[in-house]
Amino acid sequence: MRRLALALEAVAIAALFWCFFAGRARFAMLGAGLALLAAAGALGWRGGRRSMPAFWLWFTSLLVYAFLYIPLAIVVIFSFNDSKLNAEWVGFSLQWYQRLFGDADMLRAAFNSLSIAVGASAIATVLGTMAGIAMHRFRPRLLPFLVFTPVAMPEILLGVSLLIFFLNVAKPALALAGITFDLGLTTVVLAHITFSIGFVAIIVRARLAGMDDSIFEAARDLGATPWRTFRDITLPLILPGVIAGALMAFTLSVDDFVITFFTAGVGTKTLPLQIYTMIKVAVTPEVNAVSALLMLLTLAMILAAARVAPDALRAKA
Amino acid sequence: MRAVLWALLLATVPGLAAAQDVLRLFNWNNYITEDSVQRFERGCGCSLEQDYYSDNEEMLAKLAAGASGYDLLVPTGNAVQALIASNQLRPLDHAQIPNLSNIKPEFLNQWFDPGNRYSVPYAYSLTILGYNIEKMKAFEIPVDTWAAIFEPRYLERVKGKVTVLDSQRELFAAALIYLGYSANETSEGRLRAARDLILRAKPYWAAFNAGSYFKELAIGNIWLAHGYSNDFYTAQQDAHGAARPFTIGFTTPKEGAVFALDNLVMHKTGRRPDLAYKFIDYWLQGRASAEITNLIGAGNPNRVAMQWVRPEIAENRNIFPDAARFRRLQSLRDYDPRTRRLLNRLWVEVKVR
Amino acid sequence: MIKLRADTVTRWLVGGPPFLFLVLFFLAPALIMVAASFRYPGEFGGLAPLFGGAPGGESGLTLENYRVFFGDRIYFDIFLKSFGVAAVTTLVCLAMAYPLAVLIARSPKHRRDFMVLLCVLPFASNFLVRVYAWMIMLGPFELLFTKFAVLAAMVYVHLPFMILPLYTNLEKHDPTLLDAAQDLGANAWHRFWRVTFPLSLPGVFAGSALVFIPVLGMFAIPEILGGISDWLVGNMIKESFLGVRDWPFGSMLSLMLTLCVLAIAGAAAWVARRGVARA
Repeated sequence: MRRLALALEAVAIAALFWCFFAGRARFAMLGAGLALLAAAGALGWRGGRRSMPAFWLWFTSLLVYAFLYIPLAIVVIFSFNDSKLNAEWVGFSLQWYQRLFGDADMLRAAFNSLSIAVGASAIATVLGTMAGIAMHRFRPRLLPFLVFTPVAMPEILLGVSLLIFFLNVAKPALALAGITFDLGLTTVVLAHITFSIGFVAIIVRARLAGMDDSIFEAARDLGATPWRTFRDITLPLILPGVIAGALMAFTLSVDDFVITFFTAGVGTKTLPLQIYTMIKVAVTPEVNAVSALLMLLTLAMILAAARVAPDALRAKA
Repeated sequence: MRAVLWALLLATVPGLAAAQDVLRLFNWNNYITEDSVQRFERGCGCSLEQDYYSDNEEMLAKLAAGASGYDLLVPTGNAVQALIASNQLRPLDHAQIPNLSNIKPEFLNQWFDPGNRYSVPYAYSLTILGYNIEKMKAFEIPVDTWAAIFEPRYLERVKGKVTVLDSQRELFAAALIYLGYSANETSEGRLRAARDLILRAKPYWAAFNAGSYFKELAIGNIWLAHGYSNDFYTAQQDAHGAARPFTIGFTTPKEGAVFALDNLVMHKTGRRPDLAYKFIDYWLQGRASAEITNLIGAGNPNRVAMQWVRPEIAENRNIFPDAARFRRLQSLRDYDPRTRRLLNRLWVEVKVR
Repeated sequence: MIKLRADTVTRWLVGGPPFLFLVLFFLAPALIMVAASFRYPGEFGGLAPLFGGAPGGESGLTLENYRVFFGDRIYFDIFLKSFGVAAVTTLVCLAMAYPLAVLIARSPKHRRDFMVLLCVLPFASNFLVRVYAWMIMLGPFELLFTKFAVLAAMVYVHLPFMILPLYTNLEKHDPTLLDAAQDLGANAWHRFWRVTFPLSLPGVFAGSALVFIPVLGMFAIPEILGGISDWLVGNMIKESFLGVRDWPFGSMLSLMLTLCVLAIAGAAAWVARRGVARA
């Protein structure tokens, strides 16, 4: 009985999904989907008192999963839409992907995004790991505040303060030394490092917290210098956490919009900025195409992370 | 694993080895065709790199925020005024741009740059009303007046289907013009009157939108919009191309409208003034500007270019206004800081109340 | 002796670089932003000079920005509206995330990782694309430019941030507690409300913080999907910097927002500590 109800729910979700392709029939489809949903709920209710909570858990969870994935599916499917307007489904076409690969701006933006992400995540991982170890070993008072606040603050505040800093302090100061400094790739990388350090530090520290400290003491008693302790004992143990942190920093950097928006100046294009321009003005399904490809890339990275460091991903504060 | 990381690292280095002859243009979105770019690149043996903005304020703000290295910008008149006053432009050597004589005389010697010492005209647009013809007829809304977006008695028929520009100056200009004042009004009382007019109409509007309104118009989600003539032309073409069951039209309101002449200027931080001159002269030849006119319906100040402009566009009085209409058009001039701050406060009220 | 000094050296070597980096690129900018809020805007953008500005122009320090902010109710209104949106988003996220987190926590181990992965995957798409998806979806249903649109997109973008902390916490719950409660006669609802929920509070707080705070500063979603009354603090700040070129005002707003966030974080921490003490 319960299974039937859940199956009915799946059909309802399919109907709701189909709304967006139904053209004029969309409201009818919407109604049908909602009715089926209600029916599924009623059916589940009738199934008896036993394991009711489990049923509701599954019922709502399926809906939440659907909620998470339907918009993405629509973006991907519409990337094959044979219409410039992106309003209704017209027909199948690969033209937007072709357009994408000929779009110099987009390709440059993609290249920039990846370069920035690699650079920023590399440095952020190093600094973040150091911070994580320092916080675990030495329990400093100011460092945790400095490390965690950028993570907790709304991004716009970070972006804005860095903008002012780069332009009203860094630029004149460096000009005095004869260096022309402008917003660009460098400033974006620096900004990304600032907010990524926190994530890496959280993961590394959580990993250290779950470990037995006596192993470090044993190493010290045996006469190992701090560097050797780190290289031979600490690093291998926290490596999954470090890698997870690096991948996290990478994903955050590729995806970042707000902070990049303020610190990129103008000449630097990144994918999110490019998409923003496209969404605001020249909206063609090319945006969908680039999004689909981005999703594929990040999916590949997350799967790689899951394989390399399966339990590191779960060690959240 | 390590090899992969090293490869990735090395891959980022070649970013420095870019093309040597690069001209950097900071332009409006969609304001030059692919063909024009390619022809120019072939002709000069260089490459053209573009960055985009969708609003003068955005461009000025980004320049003030330190963007540099642009050889050419395409600011509107009041932005040229601001750029000249803040000493950011290179004076133009007219000897290097002989095709300047192609420009129609009424577009030279503008108020912001007498003698064209710093700028040459690029293209122009009008800020007018665009609409779904069938819907406006069905609801009997007069589209030749700003009353269409400011009067509740018309708005209530199309509530939630109207958008206005998300631009302080443009929206207040439309309100001021409708009230019979100058678009560059600085009197506090009159600006407040404009604010009240806007607030009275606001509940009927769907959104303040500067970017996607013409797309929504072409799709049919919006029926009436305050926007730019070239955007409306694009919407008209898109709707037709997508075989929508309606037609998009656009009209210049009889009370007047804002006229925006965009200009090519050379920024002081540009590194290739030689290439910049080549581009300016190329644009003044007329083929390229005619192409963008044909693509998006941008107004063309170039006499010679008219031979390549499609007749139906050349005859459209909302894109190429005749003398009578021209008299009713006004250009926006930059405000002094005090009025600007007043307008900022009024704008917050417009957005929040 | 030597070991002690080595310890200090290590401490500075390890903690030093991140500390210095963050002081330079986080703390200093924040303080400068505070300072900027006391200046005048420059003639063409940026900040007006501190000394010797153009005659007739403005320069030096001023409380003008604060005077305007505290002098008009409208700014309080906009902050209130932003907090309202953030609160509603957080509650909706909580309501949606909780059942899913419980389900994942209770599933057998091999399935759990997969389910968590499924939750994290949407995160793999670009933030703006997720917003754009809603543009496509809501257009035909005439829901574009409405409060519903803004809310839906806000929830959608932040849902994974609520699911993960909740799940991490719920996973650690001892299932025998629930069995004991059941043996003592509690029904499903009581088991949830009296046992599971109080124990999950740290996760609830962590998830709520991860949703509430970012929403406060959001501007892209109201800008793309919002209607006429969906202008939030983030939009005002963004416009100050990249629209009307009034940096001091934008800095002042940012400072106000930061203070609010700190106040809320502080209050949440205080409540959490009291809750822990009671539990």
